[in-house]
Amino acid sequence: MIKIKLGKNEKPILNPEDFYFIQKLLRTMRNPKTKFNSKEFVKKGDDYLFNYVDKNVGGIDEGRRKFLKGLVIGIGVVTVAGIIPGLKVLVPPNVSAVSAFPKSLLVDSSGSPIAASKIPVNSPIITIYEYPLTGEPNFLLNLGDSSGNPVKVPASTVTVPQTGDKYTFPGGVGPNNSIVSYSAICQHLGCKPPYIHFYPPNYVNSAQLSAPEPDTLTAQALAAAKSANVPALIHCDCHGSTYDPYHGAQPLTGPTVRPLPTTVLEWDSSTDYLYALGSIGVAIYPEGANGVPSKDPTADLGSSFGSSVGDKTEVTQPENPFTSS
Amino acid sequence: MSVTKKVSDWFMERLGLNDLPFFKTPDYMYHASEWLGALVAAAFFYTVISGLILLLYYNPDQGYSSTEFIINSVPYGSVVLYSHLYGAYAMIILAYVHMFRNYFVGAYKKPRELLWIIGVLMLVLVLGASFLGYSLIGDVLATSAVDVGAGIISSIPQLTFLLPILFGNYDSGQFGRVLAWHIILVALIGLLFVFHFFMAEHYGMMPSRKVKSKAPAVYTKEEWSKFNPWWPRNFVYMFSLIFLTWGFILAIPNALAYLNGLPQQFNPFLNPKPAPSPSSPLAAHVTTYPPWFFLFVYKIADFTSDVVIFLLIGVIIPLLYLILVPFLDRTEYLHPMKRKVFLGFGILMITYLIQTTIWGDLSPGIPVPITQQIEVYLPPAIITAIGLAFFKYVKIGNNMKKAQMTPLNAILFTVIALLMAGSLIAVLNEPSILTIGIFIPLLILFFGGAKLLTPPIFKADQSAVTPSVSQESVMSLERKKKMAQVIMVILLIFAAILAGTIWTIPATGYVSNMFGVDLGLIFIMLGESISLYHYIVYKKPDEHEE
Repeated sequence: MIKIKLGKNEKPILNPEDFYFIQKLLRTMRNPKTKFNSKEFVKKGDDYLFNYVDKNVGGIDEGRRKFLKGLVIGIGVVTVAGIIPGLKVLVPPNVSAVSAFPKSLLVDSSGSPIAASKIPVNSPIITIYEYPLTGEPNFLLNLGDSSGNPVKVPASTVTVPQTGDKYTFPGGVGPNNSIVSYSAICQHLGCKPPYIHFYPPNYVNSAQLSAPEPDTLTAQALAAAKSANVPALIHCDCHGSTYDPYHGAQPLTGPTVRPLPTTVLEWDSSTDYLYALGSIGVAIYPEGANGVPSKDPTADLGSSFGSSVGDKTEVTQPENPFTSS
Repeated sequence: MSVTKKVSDWFMERLGLNDLPFFKTPDYMYHASEWLGALVAAAFFYTVISGLILLLYYNPDQGYSSTEFIINSVPYGSVVLYSHLYGAYAMIILAYVHMFRNYFVGAYKKPRELLWIIGVLMLVLVLGASFLGYSLIGDVLATSAVDVGAGIISSIPQLTFLLPILFGNYDSGQFGRVLAWHIILVALIGLLFVFHFFMAEHYGMMPSRKVKSKAPAVYTKEEWSKFNPWWPRNFVYMFSLIFLTWGFILAIPNALAYLNGLPQQFNPFLNPKPAPSPSSPLAAHVTTYPPWFFLFVYKIADFTSDVVIFLLIGVIIPLLYLILVPFLDRTEYLHPMKRKVFLGFGILMITYLIQTTIWGDLSPGIPVPITQQIEVYLPPAIITAIGLAFFKYVKIGNNMKKAQMTPLNAILFTVIALLMAGSLIAVLNEPSILTIGIFIPLLILFFGGAKLLTPPIFKADQSAVTPSVSQESVMSLERKKKMAQVIMVILLIFAAILAGTIWTIPATGYVSNMFGVDLGLIFIMLGESISLYHYIVYKKPDEHEE
């Protein structure tokens, strides 16, 4: 600040910025390239002067403004630099193709392993877990007789009606050898729970003939259950396919021409934990020419059906279809 | 001419920014309270952008597990998801603030009636879209909220046809319809926003009551043309607000998620994480709450078993009132004290909204007898009515001094008011000579205090301060601007440090939320630095509130 002294008082006249501005303005006015036109000024007055300054000299604190703009742009650039790693959000996490069935521990939603001996016998609640890929549900059933006692499910031979092929169903696991697991995707047209689900013995009766969807049993299914002498069924309400859970999900009635693939379970008797090991039977999806399935149940692992469930898979109980009836 | 000016001019010419029918802003309007709509819009845009990113991953057939997938497996997925949630929260809160502020200043009056109505419709759409968005999580809280919502609809037989239209197969885990409706409602909000925005620009922001005290409160073209053009000052100011809003939307939820382990009772308000899945055994331990912005509706549902009455009280009457208020309040006065009835309704609406929300949080789903309802809702109504009858509108002369309210006065008055309210409840519960004897002196004290404090509260903003640009104020402004410049430098340094560390944060897992916090802080610094830039470059020494 340029000041003058008047007696005791200091009087400010001009601060340095204004002084520099005046210097700059005067230089510009003398410059032949940007000569100040005094005739125009007389004619147009203040407006001409202001326009002239705006055009040729810029604001009073042009340098300062540049510096400020630099600061803002700097932080803007820094912000962009901060956003860039965030763009990773657009890159989907790697879904690795699986070449073999994983060994998956069955866990509940809190992540703790489920105890085989605690699985209720003949539960009407749909109990499923995803295996081997996400989006592929499997039933987890603890089979019993009509009085609710667990029954030992023996190994048996399953025939694929469509091809006549045979394979061996290994039988139940767990403390009573009564726990079995099958794919919960109907082999006919791929219906999933709740349309396909387990009917415990107390629901395999003529009362289910008139039950609302998805709990209707067909008369053929009832008759087939009687002639095969099985107390409980897996039945798909979409088109009426019926499977025998006691004998490797062998088809009891059509329209299906393939048994449900068996998911192989392993029971660790020391910990009471259950593991899913793999799948036997036909492939989960009817693949191959003319709807004839490939015989290799790992066929869908390599393609893009989903990602592997990994070494743990969660058992869920999405609903009890029978509460409404 | 500097390079930036060249670039700026290039864009200005190409885009015709100054020819757009955008409102030019007078100097005194650069305050957040005049820009609440911009804050809502900022939250809206953030939520739309983050929602579109989530749409890349969300699978409506596996709502819960794909939510978990986004949180746990997608790089920075939890950052995007939590800030999407809080963007919506911010939008709801800011929309309420924006609405009530405009209600009290009478911005719904001529010629802004339609602008107001579109705004109210947008609030309804926002609440609807939020409810549907909340349902997409598929956790136990969301599914039970849908159950409650569906229950309310289905208890009116004529409305049951809406259930499959709105929710589809929600119960069997197919959220496709809810997702589609969520997006459709947001698209409608966007469409209405365009109208709302351009109408607001057309009429311009509400002038201060001091400038235009009567409706229609609009600046003439002539007055308007002298104000600051939209480009660049408004633009700069707007962006400082947008970035600040984004910063808070990013930083708060991620900080909450990072802090972890919030107590359960804060769940409906603060915790950005989803509750357990409804099929999990943990779900049994969760108290089911609706989302916080619907707690008030949920509590009103406890008042009566008749759903029609509930819908009337909780939804239809308040909504109709808000839509019709421009036609009910036909006076030309803008000052709230000249619209006492509407001022009272406004105060009660806010009070009841907050009261009922807190009540719903404390005792969700517990039926309330009518006596208790009266006990809760009558006192605020009486206090408001008496208060408004008591306070007189006084025209302020030019020689009025700016009123002062000392903090000590304020505390003393608050204590007296609380004691008065407490003794009123005591009188209602147990009318005896003792309780009445305590109540009456407190009531007199309350009124005495209220009368003394009336000028500071209601006239402070009216008091005229002669605008004078003294040499001193210019100098102190210069000093402040110098300080602001120093702060900008410091902000740049901090932002650069944060931006450097942000690259080292892992993309998934618990720590990834630090990314959201850091990015939020950088956005806040950016917004703040633009705001300081605005202050330094544009703030004039004679700018004052009018």
